[in-house]
Amino acid sequence: MNNKEIYRIWAPYGKKWVDWVRPVPFVSVNEYSRNYNYMNMMVPKVNYLDDSYEGAAIIVDLPGAESVMEGLGLARKGYRPIPIYNGTIEQKDSRATVDNQTVGAALVWGAAQLSQIEIKDDALPVFLLDKNRMNRFKMQISLFDNSWDIYHQDLPSAEYFIENNIKKIIIIGSSVSKDLKKILYGFQKKKIQIYLAKNYDEPKIFRIRKQFQKDI
Amino acid sequence: MKLVPIPREKFEEYRINLMFDCYKWDPQFLDNNTIAKYALVLTQEEHKELEMLTESIDVETRNAEEFLNSNLHLAKPLGLSRKVRNEITKMKNYEPEAHIRLMRYDFHPTIEGKWAVSEVNSDVPGGFAEASLMPELVLGVVEENDFRFICFGDILTEAILKKVKRNGRIMLVHCTSYSDDRQVMQFLGDRLTKEGFEIIYGAADHLNFRDNKAISILDGNEGEVDAIIRFTPLEWLVDIKPKRWQGYFDTITVSCNHPVAIFAQTKRFPLIWNTLENNGINMSTWRELLPETVEVKQAKGREGFIYKPAYGRVGERISIKEACRGDEYKKILSDVRLHPKKYLAQRKFNSKPLKGENDEEFHVCIGSYTVDGRHAGYYARISDLPRIDSHAADIPVLIEGNDEDE
Repeated sequence: MNNKEIYRIWAPYGKKWVDWVRPVPFVSVNEYSRNYNYMNMMVPKVNYLDDSYEGAAIIVDLPGAESVMEGLGLARKGYRPIPIYNGTIEQKDSRATVDNQTVGAALVWGAAQLSQIEIKDDALPVFLLDKNRMNRFKMQISLFDNSWDIYHQDLPSAEYFIENNIKKIIIIGSSVSKDLKKILYGFQKKKIQIYLAKNYDEPKIFRIRKQFQKDI
Repeated sequence: MKLVPIPREKFEEYRINLMFDCYKWDPQFLDNNTIAKYALVLTQEEHKELEMLTESIDVETRNAEEFLNSNLHLAKPLGLSRKVRNEITKMKNYEPEAHIRLMRYDFHPTIEGKWAVSEVNSDVPGGFAEASLMPELVLGVVEENDFRFICFGDILTEAILKKVKRNGRIMLVHCTSYSDDRQVMQFLGDRLTKEGFEIIYGAADHLNFRDNKAISILDGNEGEVDAIIRFTPLEWLVDIKPKRWQGYFDTITVSCNHPVAIFAQTKRFPLIWNTLENNGINMSTWRELLPETVEVKQAKGREGFIYKPAYGRVGERISIKEACRGDEYKKILSDVRLHPKKYLAQRKFNSKPLKGENDEEFHVCIGSYTVDGRHAGYYARISDLPRIDSHAADIPVLIEGNDEDE
């Protein structure tokens, strides 16, 4: 499979939500400098979905390849996985702050799995994010900083979610990341409820305080 | 000028090919597709006129910046930040011939049948791949085929080949955390790699300077570099801590762009045209094309003015009421009241929209590049609103007729 074909599996033509799939990790898969062994990887069984997830969109915010695997697990439960990874690969021979290649390699591996899963046209979306994206601590100034943030333009608007009868967003992860708070504070103001399912526990409502935003 | 539709059945493949073959990594912005379903076609006459105006206005800009660089005391009305003011005194060794000067002028058709220029992207203009590969791709997609295009990438590469030693090392300086920046740099990096250059993707603080020469300190890529192509805006660069960026201002390493670009980058540039003209610098093309621009306080009580931030990008914070979303207009006015010196007032021009297939209207902004004074192609965007901002869609620019017609 070439990178366009892999992308097409994750963003099948004409399906809902797939316009938000970011091409960035797919574009560079042929330039990766590391190999990853996913031989022993398995798509996790998702057994935590209950009534509290009904009608909710999900944001999986887990480290590296784990987020891809969780997305595939949720795809098996009927969700449409939407990878919105946006990190670039590092300059050749440089050490980097984030291993963005691990996510891309998992997307390649996961394409074969996903192509076997039938997802309904009206499936709810699960947006996939790498929790490691904001690792921007540099031991040395010479390191390549390929950390990244998610911005409001990378997700559908609150209005779009509401038009599609989604008034609840559940984040699966250890915490709500700073960049997500900036986006979801705006959603909360528009009456979308934000929940956090910490460590796969039952989702609990998460109130976001006003975030400092430089833009006016 | 007209919009030529991309056949509906070919659009999806076109979109995918743009993403994977043409460095279009940001095809979606919120709920908007940022790839136009049209190509923009200029007549030969329109192209010739734009080419002439672009080269003419560019002469004025370069003369102005060279004059200001030698007469910094006259640059006060530009309102440059203290950090920048402190460093530009070092630019006395600036030699235009030693560097590569890249600019993009944003043209808009008006209902009066003329052109208006809204700004010059003097410091770090983007849109490289959209002005190079996108028109090439669309030529194979639209049904009519008597069109040509100007490849910006070829012209910039030619300029680099003239000024940077063969097989030299070039650092493409950008904000490495932003894929939107990397896509611009990656296009150029891949193009230059084909010419034999060694390309380093690095951040602004990955360069040190010794004896006015740029040295890469990027892990695994250390050593002298032969050219700097910068996509980090100067006003961001000077905020980087710790302060190690002074060397950009007096480097003799080939730079594109050299920080001399800051004079025209601020939208307050028109506020010193009288001074420039009094010193013999011709600004007549600028005068003809840019709507009247004054200090915020001078526009008070006068109708037909909008506010623009001195360092705004992609149409952000421009107070065109009908194009503002939500409470944006109110917020801009409030910010203008608080920080009037960070804005300017400009007479609003009446953009003439083009008609689409179903009579829908699109406003157009045609970015016209120059490289070392030579016209270097187009990067255009269209929007259903009269403000071309991040919600706008990229559209390839073609020219009627083929090369033999010239």
